Amino acid sequence: MMRRLPQIADEWIDRSRPLAFRFEGVAYQGFGGDTISSALAAAGVMTLGRSFKYHRRRGLLSAANHDSNAIFQIGRLPSVRGDVTPLESGLDVTAVNTFGGLERDKAQVINRLAPFLPVGFYYKAFHGKRLAARWERLFRRLTGLGRVDLTALREPTPKRYAFCDVLVIGGGPSGLSAALAAATGGARVLLVEESARLGGNGLHGSSLDPARAATIRALAARVAADTRIEVLCSTYAAGYYDDHWVALAEPHRLSKVRARAVVLATGTIEQPTVFRNNDLPGVLLVSGAQRLLHRYAIAPGGRVCVVAANDQACEAALDLLAQGVEVCAVVDLRRGAAGEALARLRGAKVEVLEGWAPYEAHAGAGGALAAITVAPLGAGPGAVVTAQARRLECDALLLGTGWAPALQLAAQAGARIVFDESLQQHRATELPPGLLVAGRAAGVGEFAARVADGSLAGAQAAAIAAGAVAASAGGSVPGYAVSAASSHPFAIIDHPNGKNFVDFDEDLQVRDLENAAQEGFDSVELMKRFSTVGMGPSQGKHSNVNAARVLARKRGLSVGELGLTTARPMYHPVPLKLLAGRSFNAERKTPLDSRHTALGAVWMPAANWRRPEYYARSGVTREQCIREEVRAVRERVGLIDVGTLGKIEIFGPEAGAFLDRVYAGRFSDLKVGMTRYGLMLDESATIIDDGVIGRLGEQRYYFTTTTSGSATVFRELLRWNALWGLHCALVNVTGHRAAVNIAGPKSRAALQALTDIDLSDVAFPYLAVREGQVAGVPARLMRVGFVGEIGYEVHVPWSGAARLWDALVAAGRREELRVFGVEAQRVLRLEKGHLIVSQDTDGLSNPVEAASMWAVKMQKPYFVGQRSLRILQTRGPRQLLAGLEILDARLPRESHLVIEAGELAGRLTSVARSAALGRNIALAMLRPDLAVAGRELSIRVDDGAMVRAKVVPTPFYDPAGERQKGGVAA
Amino acid sequence: MSGVVQCSLVTDRARTGCKGPGAAAWLVARSIPVPPSANSAIAWPEGGGVVARLGSSEFFIEGSAPQIVALDTALAGCPPGVYPVLRADAAFLIEGTGVHEVLAQVCNINFAAQDLARSPVIMTLMIGVAVLVLPEAAGEGRRYRIWCDPSFGEYLEHQLSVIIGAAGADPPRAAGVI
Repeated sequence: MMRRLPQIADEWIDRSRPLAFRFEGVAYQGFGGDTISSALAAAGVMTLGRSFKYHRRRGLLSAANHDSNAIFQIGRLPSVRGDVTPLESGLDVTAVNTFGGLERDKAQVINRLAPFLPVGFYYKAFHGKRLAARWERLFRRLTGLGRVDLTALREPTPKRYAFCDVLVIGGGPSGLSAALAAATGGARVLLVEESARLGGNGLHGSSLDPARAATIRALAARVAADTRIEVLCSTYAAGYYDDHWVALAEPHRLSKVRARAVVLATGTIEQPTVFRNNDLPGVLLVSGAQRLLHRYAIAPGGRVCVVAANDQACEAALDLLAQGVEVCAVVDLRRGAAGEALARLRGAKVEVLEGWAPYEAHAGAGGALAAITVAPLGAGPGAVVTAQARRLECDALLLGTGWAPALQLAAQAGARIVFDESLQQHRATELPPGLLVAGRAAGVGEFAARVADGSLAGAQAAAIAAGAVAASAGGSVPGYAVSAASSHPFAIIDHPNGKNFVDFDEDLQVRDLENAAQEGFDSVELMKRFSTVGMGPSQGKHSNVNAARVLARKRGLSVGELGLTTARPMYHPVPLKLLAGRSFNAERKTPLDSRHTALGAVWMPAANWRRPEYYARSGVTREQCIREEVRAVRERVGLIDVGTLGKIEIFGPEAGAFLDRVYAGRFSDLKVGMTRYGLMLDESATIIDDGVIGRLGEQRYYFTTTTSGSATVFRELLRWNALWGLHCALVNVTGHRAAVNIAGPKSRAALQALTDIDLSDVAFPYLAVREGQVAGVPARLMRVGFVGEIGYEVHVPWSGAARLWDALVAAGRREELRVFGVEAQRVLRLEKGHLIVSQDTDGLSNPVEAASMWAVKMQKPYFVGQRSLRILQTRGPRQLLAGLEILDARLPRESHLVIEAGELAGRLTSVARSAALGRNIALAMLRPDLAVAGRELSIRVDDGAMVRAKVVPTPFYDPAGERQKGGVAA
Repeated sequence: MSGVVQCSLVTDRARTGCKGPGAAAWLVARSIPVPPSANSAIAWPEGGGVVARLGSSEFFIEGSAPQIVALDTALAGCPPGVYPVLRADAAFLIEGTGVHEVLAQVCNINFAAQDLARSPVIMTLMIGVAVLVLPEAAGEGRRYRIWCDPSFGEYLEHQLSVIIGAAGADPPRAAGVI
């Protein structure tokens, strides 16, 4: 059983600060500096959770947040990573993947059903439609790592950008020396370490070589004292993007760092030995045991056995012996291995079984490790001589048979990852300029060499950052590569009864991977997707290499020939709250926002603006409010804030020519003082925007765009202007100008009281534009008809908006003016059959289909989209926008489908009840053969019922347009 | 956050702009200083204003209300090759020892690395809002003038106050600054 040892040098815990906490309802105590995992280990808790698929007991493995065994739930917080989450007083921690508690997990029966859950089971379950829904429910219920509380409040977290000359990722021996060398070279350095303290595994093996500890302490002290080095501990680099842009996940924020050069000193990740029951609690990695020992003063067990294939494992055994922990045997997969550590172990009377391997682990009464069966390695990879097997009683088994360099970030940066047969590990080659890999990640093994390697890399990075050497001079520094492999080529032992796990996250055994290959998923990428190997929370850190070895054996290839799966961000799972940050969502307000609030506006989003949907009145329903607003415009006068419209000015001798090119209509011949509707197309002739273009002078136009299109349209116009080089200049005044529309038969009377501009039909006809003063505010007035009544858009500078609004409201009081919102405006324009771009059109609609060819001048020499439109005209429309009268009482909704002979034949784009017409009306995109006046159609509504409709001509209201043109009096 | 930050709304200044091939000469003719290169600014000593050159032929001008009214009036006369640019920007002044920490949360520009000797003006995005930023020396440290479209002003002000407030510093306050 794991236990806390007396104080040891450099331990991270503060024994003067006891912390009480609970796990699965049982009270425990740890110390300040403990993680949840270490505190549980110190308390002798061997089972931390259950596995994802078979609900097998799982215990501490890496103590480094590299595996998924130590994931917990704390209250409503799921996916708490116990290996790195600091222990706090009062924590109430529960295990994940359990039904009815950790010890009495009802789902552990699944472990016995393993033979019936073949690889690819999830995919196979969904082959048939009949049971798919049932399987989905079952999987959803059984899977998952904890519970998400959907009622939990958002916790905004900061995100920040950061900058440095040299970013060093990894705070072990090579990372520390790299940071110091870079700083010495004059660079501003950011040093990132995923553990809570610097040092990495520098203290491991210090019983063999005490100088290591002294070196690590000295390096860490120098780093701490160097003002050019900023250190971020408990932070991991989650993703590597273009131009040395690295996402750093800190405990409470996400930092997006831009560096001039980067040193990856990310070290290596130990790989589990694969044998039957290698997942029992009590079986852990050598590096995990070393972390427990040196950081938290925890013995991994009372009687420890070590499986070795490298010196680091032997050094771990020595470190344990030095702390008084019994080491019963070293099972060494190597034959004839030499080295001082092994010699010392022999000297300490530790049994060394050379050329042996673990064959099976055995659980005791509590489900944790009680003994192992070991056997000599046999002929061929994975084979053992079971006839000579022995049983060793032990309560801890440390696995130290191989490593995989943490090169995920290098791969994300674009480096090529190749397999080095001599090292039996991958290496990064063809590094992108400015990226260097140092230390164990680069294949440098000896402690002193790692320090020296880091120092060289740091100095080189500083030179690159300073521009003293070419960035292409990056790469790992030659001269320090170890000659001896520290990874066994095949530490994977076959067993007829399986349960020799390659991937602990997904409960994948050797035969699962072999069966995947047998079924044809025999490349690393295919096997990954079919078997889900490497797709769990640890993202293959412990499984990808072993899985590749299994597949390579199956196919008779080398690991190098097989290749690796693509490494993508994120390197570790990143809490969603860090990604969400503060959830910035830029919202625009018009200068009349407070006026609307005072009037009871009910807000709705319109692109990135907030607009009044309608104005609420006490005791009146939403529908009634909207109906009254519509009626006010039809019968008296209404006022709406249209300041969200895009507003653009264009100046210059070629302004008209420019507009002729970007709009489908003609504007160079527009008379000064007049406006014209404009339709904007993209190069495929899809309608992208519309608006009203007014000519204020010979070389001066002012035009509007849709609310949602203003920014993109302006950007597009700038692009065209840059390409064409016409003599004109564009100014976007969308946010700097306010605009209102006063409309209705009495609008002229209300407005005339505030301006000297003659508003009569003769002096200011329909579609005219004028400049002058309104309520003492310099204004542009456009005579428009969007809502189908006489109306004036009044555009004023931002600063004059409130004054204008107040004056109009006051002037309109006698005419019973009513403010109206977006919904009323939608009804009003629908009655007129006016389309709204992107509501009544979609991403493919062209002017032919939108019945808008009247706004297109095909005879112009050129306009954007003209060529495509010519082609489309010859092909005929795919759909047509048409007006519908709903014949049944039930009102369909927008996006409801038109069904003809059982087939999809169109969709409703706009629907409303028209009080003015006394009927329900709609616009719909229809199959062309259906868009014939008088044709009856069926519309399927939400519950599947069919509603009848008839195609009718538009406009529905005032077809001759007399009211908007002539200002018919009420 | 490592220091106190104050963010003030600048309410006692007016703004305008102009662009076009004749804009620079027109400003010079009116004795208004013109920055020699794009993306830089120059003080307009008369009235404590500033002129920023946003491109080869586009200028942003901040000054006292009478100065700006006079300019707008002159621009309304449509001088040849000079086009008026209506500016009703919301304006902020942000300063304090933790100012770079605040800016780092809203913008990906490394403001601390900007060379003040070049009088840079930075056009960039700040939490989704197009802004104009003018770094200035302020004692040992720096302060930043920020202008944005007025329709985003309240949003930017709110978010800055949240970020500053999270660190216990002063949220934006209306003040006649400069």
